Amino acid sequence: MNIGFIGFGTMGLSMAEHLIKAGHALRVWSRRVASADSLVALGALRCDWVHELAMGSEIVCTNLTGSADVAGLADALRPGLAPGAIHIDFSTIAPGAARAIAAKHAAVGVEFVDAPVSGGGVGARNASLAIMWGGREELAPRLAPIFSVLGKSAVRIGEAGAGQVAKACNQMILVNLIQACAEAAALAAAAGLDFRLVREAMLGGSAGSRALDVFGGRMAIRDFGAGVEARLHHKDYALLMDEAARVGAPLPIAAAVWQQLNALMAQGLGTRDTSSLLRVLEGATGRHTD
Amino acid sequence: MNVGFIGLGLMGRPMALHLEKAGHALHLWARRPESLAPFASVNAKTYATPAQVAANADVVITMVADAPDVENVCLGADGLAAAGKPGLIVVDMSTINPNAARSIGQRLAEKGIEFVDAPVSGGETGAINAALTIMVGGTPAAFEKVKPLLEKMGKSVTLIGGSGAGQVAKACNQILTGVGVMAVAEAFNFAAKSGVDAAKVREALLGGFAYSKVLENHGQRMLDRNFKPGFKAWMHQKDLRIVMEEAHRMGLMLPSAAATAQVFNAIVGSGMGENDSITALQLLEKMSTPEA
Repeated sequence: MNIGFIGFGTMGLSMAEHLIKAGHALRVWSRRVASADSLVALGALRCDWVHELAMGSEIVCTNLTGSADVAGLADALRPGLAPGAIHIDFSTIAPGAARAIAAKHAAVGVEFVDAPVSGGGVGARNASLAIMWGGREELAPRLAPIFSVLGKSAVRIGEAGAGQVAKACNQMILVNLIQACAEAAALAAAAGLDFRLVREAMLGGSAGSRALDVFGGRMAIRDFGAGVEARLHHKDYALLMDEAARVGAPLPIAAAVWQQLNALMAQGLGTRDTSSLLRVLEGATGRHTD
Repeated sequence: MNVGFIGLGLMGRPMALHLEKAGHALHLWARRPESLAPFASVNAKTYATPAQVAANADVVITMVADAPDVENVCLGADGLAAAGKPGLIVVDMSTINPNAARSIGQRLAEKGIEFVDAPVSGGETGAINAALTIMVGGTPAAFEKVKPLLEKMGKSVTLIGGSGAGQVAKACNQILTGVGVMAVAEAFNFAAKSGVDAAKVREALLGGFAYSKVLENHGQRMLDRNFKPGFKAWMHQKDLRIVMEEAHRMGLMLPSAAATAQVFNAIVGSGMGENDSITALQLLEKMSTPEA
C-alpha cells in the first residue's frame, strides 16, 4: 500500500520503520529534512511538499505533538488527498480538535481516524502498542494491515474523537496511579521505611500495577531522569480536564493530581520523568533532598 | 458621548440603559434582533454589523459570553477593528481568559484601537441597580476616559493594572466565591447531618472570624432554599474552567479551586446548571443520602 507518514519523534520513527519492513511503500515529509534520513536509507521516498506526499498516498499517518500542529497539517494535506483516502492521526490531541478535523475532511470525502497509542517509545520499538481508534467502522479492514504491524492491540472505540477520549482515560488512570505510588513512597519514607522493600512486597499483590512497577521503580532508586517527560503528562491533563468540563463530568481525583502536576511544572521538573511527582510531595514537607 | 454597546443580554441590557439614562447616545448591534426591542423608545441607533457601530462610536462596550465571541466581535469579518477610528476604546466587560484578553488587546492596538478589560461582579441584580463591582485592566489614560461610563454601571470601579489585569482580578473573585460557596454548603450540610440547625450556626458564625459575604448572603439563600439565579451554576463552571486553564498555563497549584470546579462539573452534568451556584448544597445533600 502507498502510505504517507509525517512526524518522526521517537515514536513516529519506530512506527515508520515497521511499516517499511512490512513491505509498504512509504512516502515521508519532515520539517527538518534530516529527521527522515534513516527512513530514506531504508527505502522511503522523500517528498519535498506535504501536498506531494498527500497526492500519492492512499493512507496518510501523522504523529505530532499538539492539537494546533495536527489541525494545521490536516489543512495542508486535505487538498491533495483523493476522496476515500484515510488520514490516521496517532498524536494525542483534544477530542474536540479531532472531531473538528474529521468534519473538515468529511466535507471533501476524506476519512479521518484518530488513533492515539499507549506503550511509549518501548512499545513503538517492539511494535507492541495499544491502539485506541475512533472513526467509521467500515474502515476497519483497511486499517488492519497498518495497525497489526504497529501494535499488539487495536480497539475501535467509536466515531472520530472517541480514540482521544479513550487516550485521555488511559493517561488519567496512569498518572493518577503514579501519584498514588508517590504518596505511598512518601508515607513509607516518613514512617522510616525503605520504599524499595515496600514496593517489592506490593508488586505481587492486589496493588500491583505497571505504574508501581515502572514509575514506582524509578522512585525506589530515585532515578528521576529517564522515562517520560512529565510536561507531556501535564499537557494530557489539560485535554482531559477540558473534556470533563465540556461534558460536565466530575473528576475529583484527577483534578487534585492535575494540581500536583502544575506544582511540578512550577518547580522546573517538566523535562524530568513523571515519577518526579514524589519530589513535589517531598517539597511540601522538606523531608527529602537529593 | 457616542457609546457602542454589543451584548444586550440579562446583564448588558440594564447596563446599556443606565448609560442612555445618563445622557449618552447608544449605538447598538445584536446577533439576535429581538435583543434590540427594549431600546426602540430610547436614544439608540441600531446597525447591521459591529463595524458600523465602531464607525459611529467613541467607546464600544462588549458584554458577551466567552473569548471566541469577544474575538469575533472585535477582530472577525465586519468586526470593530474593520471600521474603528484610531483612538477608539473598546471596553470588554465579559468574563474571559486573561491571556485571551491580552492577545485581543495586542491585536487591536496594532490597528490603533485601545482595549480595556473590565469584567464585573454582582450579577443581574448588580447590573439592574448599577451596583456592579468593576475590575479594570488597561492603560491609566484609557481608564480615565472610560471611568465616567463605568461609574454609571457600578458602585466600585478599580484600575487593577495593565491589559488582562481586570480578568485576573475576576478570576480571583471566582476562586473566592466558588470555593466560598462550597465551604458554606459543606458547613451547612455538616451541621444538618449532625442534627444541628444550620440557621443557628450561620447566625453565630456571622459575628466571628468565619464571617463572609458568601456566608451572609448565599448562606441565607441556602437556608431559604431559594435556588433561583442569581448567578447560574453553569456560568460559575465556565469561569472556574478559565481559572484552571490559566493555572495550567502558568504551572500553578490551585487544589481547592480544582476540587470545586469538579463539583460544578457534576452540577452541570446532572442538569442543575440553570440553578444558582448555591445549588452546590443540593448536590452535597444528594451525595450524602442513601440511593432511592
